[in-house]
Amino acid sequence: MIRIEKDAWRTVVGHAEAAYPNECCGALLGVCENGAKLVKEAVELENAFTGSRRNRYEVRPEDLLRADRAARDRGLDLIGIYHSHPDCDAYFSATDLKNSCPWYSFVVVSVRGGKVDHVRSFLPNPEQTAAEAEDVEIPSGN
Amino acid sequence: MAKVLIPTPLRQYTDQADSVELGGATVKEVLEALTARYGELKRHLYNDEGKLRSFVNVYVNDEDIRYLDKDATPVKDGDVISIVPSIAGGNHGR
Ligand SMILES: [Zn+2]
Repeated sequence: MIRIEKDAWRTVVGHAEAAYPNECCGALLGVCENGAKLVKEAVELENAFTGSRRNRYEVRPEDLLRADRAARDRGLDLIGIYHSHPDCDAYFSATDLKNSCPWYSFVVVSVRGGKVDHVRSFLPNPEQTAAEAEDVEIPSGN
Repeated sequence: MAKVLIPTPLRQYTDQADSVELGGATVKEVLEALTARYGELKRHLYNDEGKLRSFVNVYVNDEDIRYLDKDATPVKDGDVISIVPSIAGGNHGR
């Protein structure tokens, strides 16, 4: 289970809607207690994909490294990655899976007509051949 | 000694250590020392052929070793080695 706190969720929603119709991506920082993940902060990262970003995203490792260090400095951990699916369901695509990493929760946000519609989270396996759905909890009323 | 920063999800294999100080003259030696100390870590970083998994990037301080000397990149006292995954995606149906 991954729970996203209010401020972090507001950042994710704002980023996903501002980037529309492009995909956005970012890092989720927080803590992991007794197997439950709590996201306290979301950090916007640049979508570094060099072609059309309407249906692709890429996280620059340097940016992720910086986000990880910033998290450590504040006593938080990097626990997840988010990205948006403009005008598309929040599922885990074959390309998402092939370019994933089993260490983090992958939070996918569906944006329809410029507004966040729904969210799902996935846990990819180390072979990048399957991802299991993870329960995700967001603040009520957005 | 170099300091290797351990990503959160891998700390379950390092007795919860968030960083580990290790000796070694190159990245290869330091990572070998790391996986020798924490055997379970090995399969999370390396595939069956003994190569770093495709999504694993290694940085010495701020430099990606792919643009240095790969795993032969020299390591000095006080260097910080980070393990950073490659992450991307897309091609969603519409
Ligand atoms: Zn996706």
